[in-house]
Amino acid sequence: MSMERDEKTSRTGAAGSDDRGDKKRSVGRRKQCKFCGDEALTIDYKDQALLKYFITDRGKLVPRRISGNCAKHQREIAVAVRRARMIALMPFAVTGA
Amino acid sequence: MAQVRHGSSRDIPGRKREYETIYILRPDITHEAVGLVNTKVRGVIENGGGTLLKVDNWGKRRLAYEVQKQMKGMYLFFSYLGTAGLVEEVERNLRLTDSVIRAYSVKIAENVDPATRTSEVTDETFAKAATPRPDEEEIATGQANLRAVFGDDEDGAFDFEEAVFGSDDDGPM
Repeated sequence: MSMERDEKTSRTGAAGSDDRGDKKRSVGRRKQCKFCGDEALTIDYKDQALLKYFITDRGKLVPRRISGNCAKHQREIAVAVRRARMIALMPFAVTGA
Repeated sequence: MAQVRHGSSRDIPGRKREYETIYILRPDITHEAVGLVNTKVRGVIENGGGTLLKVDNWGKRRLAYEVQKQMKGMYLFFSYLGTAGLVEEVERNLRLTDSVIRAYSVKIAENVDPATRTSEVTDETFAKAATPRPDEEEIATGQANLRAVFGDDEDGAFDFEEAVFGSDDDGPM
């Protein structure tokens, strides 16, 4: 089994068609959580200007891998966005119409 | 009427919880009516043993989605200390008020010592909350500044609507 896998990876590696990871990983800069870096920055459901950076133009939450938030602050953002939606500061969904 | 709860076994005696309530009023509401709703909410909070900490009028804003057929609304923000059950009473009263199209409350903190928090609300600031800040649209179009410069009376003042939309008689309609 393992031999099979080794063969496979070596084959694709040789072909050069699937070199996912290695190059990208070494080049990519690790994203820092904005809120961990700046203590003064607080997450508030009333702060529409801040929250808009964490929703897409469709009104959906931006995932952590894009926003760079740590788990703790992503949770706080998610709660804040949900609260902001309840008082019509943020949309639940933006339709193309 | 539902029985009002006065506390919870989780609470430390003498401590209170901090809450924020935001409600949205119909955009066509008059200043007097805003004042009446605010006074009603203040009465409910103070009769229920709460302390009003802050009142703010955010002015008319565009809503992110339609609420009760309205696309704009006037936002009112109340921050207060109270025991469990007070929020239920505040929300119940807001639901019964026709001019309120949406109300939402959030618990900010538990076991707050009331002595450590001071109220920013005086009769003056409370009355001020009935008059909103300039409308979002007014700020965008600069009408708010014009109003500040010329005052609200139209006599001899620059007529903003006429300048933008033209006078009434130059359209085919």
